[in-house]
Amino acid sequence: MEKDKNGKLKIGIYELTGCAGDALLILDCEKELVSIFKAANIQSFLMAKSDNIDGELDVALVEGSVTTEKEKEELLDIRKRAKVVVGIGTCACFGGIQAVFLDKKEWEKNFKKVYGDIKMKHVKPVQSKPINAYIEVDYYLPGCPIGKEQFLSTFNRIIRGNPPELYGFPVCVECKWNENDCLLNKDIPCLGPVTRAGCGSICINHNLPCVGCWGPVEDANLTSEFKLLREKGFDYDFIKKKMATFSGTGMADFLGKLEGEKK
Amino acid sequence: MKKISVDHLARVEGSGGISVTIDGKVVTDVKFSIFEGPRLVERLTLGKTPEEDVNIVPRICAICSISHKYAAIRAMENALSVKVPSKVVQFRELMHLGEMIESHSLHLYYLALPDYVGFPNAIAMASEYELEVKIALEMKGFGNHIMKTASGRYIHGENPVIGGFGKFPSKEELIWIKNRAIQFMPFVLKTTELFCKLDYPDTPEDDTIYACCNPGQKKYGFAGDEIILSTGEIIEKEDYKNLTNEFLVSHSYAKRSRYKGEPYSVGSLARINNLGERLKGKAGKMYKKYFNHRWEKNPLFNNAAQAIEILYAFERIPKIIDKMLKLPDPPIVKYTKKEGKGTGIVEAPRGLLIHSYEVSDGFVSFTDIITPTAQNAEDIERYCCIAAQKLLNSGEEDKIRDRMELVVRAFDPCISCSAHMAEVKKAPEEDWKTKLDKIMKEGSPIFIGVGNRNRSDDGAGIELALELRKHGIKDILLESEINEREAPWKNRNYRPLVFLDAVDFREKPGKVTLVPIHYIFSNSALSHRLLPFISDEMNYERLKNSFVLGVQPKSIIEGKKISRPVRQALTRVLELIVN
Repeated sequence: MEKDKNGKLKIGIYELTGCAGDALLILDCEKELVSIFKAANIQSFLMAKSDNIDGELDVALVEGSVTTEKEKEELLDIRKRAKVVVGIGTCACFGGIQAVFLDKKEWEKNFKKVYGDIKMKHVKPVQSKPINAYIEVDYYLPGCPIGKEQFLSTFNRIIRGNPPELYGFPVCVECKWNENDCLLNKDIPCLGPVTRAGCGSICINHNLPCVGCWGPVEDANLTSEFKLLREKGFDYDFIKKKMATFSGTGMADFLGKLEGEKK
Repeated sequence: MKKISVDHLARVEGSGGISVTIDGKVVTDVKFSIFEGPRLVERLTLGKTPEEDVNIVPRICAICSISHKYAAIRAMENALSVKVPSKVVQFRELMHLGEMIESHSLHLYYLALPDYVGFPNAIAMASEYELEVKIALEMKGFGNHIMKTASGRYIHGENPVIGGFGKFPSKEELIWIKNRAIQFMPFVLKTTELFCKLDYPDTPEDDTIYACCNPGQKKYGFAGDEIILSTGEIIEKEDYKNLTNEFLVSHSYAKRSRYKGEPYSVGSLARINNLGERLKGKAGKMYKKYFNHRWEKNPLFNNAAQAIEILYAFERIPKIIDKMLKLPDPPIVKYTKKEGKGTGIVEAPRGLLIHSYEVSDGFVSFTDIITPTAQNAEDIERYCCIAAQKLLNSGEEDKIRDRMELVVRAFDPCISCSAHMAEVKKAPEEDWKTKLDKIMKEGSPIFIGVGNRNRSDDGAGIELALELRKHGIKDILLESEINEREAPWKNRNYRPLVFLDAVDFREKPGKVTLVPIHYIFSNSALSHRLLPFISDEMNYERLKNSFVLGVQPKSIIEGKKISRPVRQALTRVLELIVN
């Protein structure tokens, strides 16, 4: 990657449809924020500044899922301008909560329930999808929202031209580090065994079950989690809905196969 | 499961824009558009358990995530008849104050202040205001810290649940928060002074209705069980639809709201206007010192109102913590009910937030969420229209874009849409013939002749109305024939109204102009004696559908006849309408 005349990489932070939590999390790095702006040339960051430039970029951080035609075009344009694209947050990585209607007909039905037959004049809606449905994504930084520690370490590595390093293990591992009692042993439905780590097992630290908001970890043993919850006596549909809440496309294959099995 | 007939999405924070269309001297259209795509959040809570719903809905907006969680929990607890102990109530208030501090200080220092001191962003502003920016960051950080303590993390923490909290903080932690709140006081006072004293421009100013939660008799606060309006009316939370009356527009995925056909405002300024008298302590003193009638009609004072609320929050925190320290940590309240309907209302930093649910057989079967920015959207458009028209009248067209950004930003619509959003569009100038043709094609208009026949050209409107009547045109009224009860603008069928009048546009005598009626109101030089009284009587929908067909008079002299150029103009108009 080339640095600008001041020796800084050009970085853009973009938001598609989502809760803006990942961009806000970056603003929430109060102590580090000035350093972030000093360490890199932040070309575009709508939430933080009004003098944004849409030019060539070294790195683009993209939050949110694609839900309108306009966002699709924006995303394609970002890909053209940026050498590296990083998806930040569960929405960008997996489509987020709004990607629960994966079936197009199901989505259309629900869209009609909400908006009726009104023709939107400003932007055309599309079914919510993660950014990799439209462009090639170099790295992913999941989280709902992303974690501060993981963001800062990723940012640090990126501005030095290194790829980010994600935790390749589930929340369960962090939970053990924190010496929590296992909630599954108490028959509470917890998604810790299949969800990507990085949050510090925050919910279980508060005696509450993991809801899976960071999406599935690579090589998650979904079958085993499903069987375990079935053994605990939870209803088939209940488990399926719980696993699908935040995972969007992340567990779609697995959940799709389940449907087949049931039939 | 029950069948659902009305559903909609409640997502407004994110990407939005405002555009104004100018046709010659007149602002013809203002649109506050939300480009943020549809997420169908309400739909995707259906079939979930109440607990799962409480996990999902804060994801509507990261900036108000605590308020969403709080409103959802209150609604669910109402639906499932869950009563929580006092410590839970206190801790919830504390977490909510954390969000107020965080959101208000983020908005005031990061977003609003750079406009008033002339910087593109807070980081650049730090070059000149280093101490302010640093301490503001600390203050925002303190709000975040409270939110993290209460909810588990900065954003979307899951610790608050139906029936209580997963975990309570240690005594040491609570005492630390209390002490820190006290330490901050000198800077908080400075913040309040700074934002109350800022030089807020008087464009735009106009009356509106303010709505907020009523936190109970004589109390200030951010949650309650009824809605209080600046008109003095009270609406029970279950009857929230009487306030919101939601409808769709084709330039936004967020639904709009109007109360009795009028736009209304929610947010800090609404709370200070409706409840400010109840403030005590230092916040009460600040309120008495700075509040004046301009706060009642200028949305820019929302910044000052937020600053007073920060002060209120900092004064409140030590009191809540003292109460919490005396109480034991209760376990999560269990419930057995599987059916029920419930509504929960709280004040998000940017205004009234409503969650309403129905639970059937243990699963959510109906969801309705109404967010503050969705309620403010109509007033945002209205105030931008007023500001743009006033600037246009005074020949400061170049200021319109910046001013509209200032207005929109003051409403603090969740922050990602508050930067870089204003656009000024020039419409091709249409002549009055094309416009009148359009009005007549879209709906059969009622023509109203206005003026004084004894004063030469001032009688043009009446003269024209009488001529039209002679030619057999129906629905012609004269000013003198309108008695208040039958005033056509009170009729709710919303046929277009066209007032015929002599209007001084400082043009060549006889020049015909057709303008939306609000243009006459906003430009006092033109106002006719009938019009001010109409402006009070007309609701918003009516205003949007009323026009003035004006003829430039040559002279207005007692006892003289209508001048030649004006008479020729009247013939032209007559021919067009008749044919």
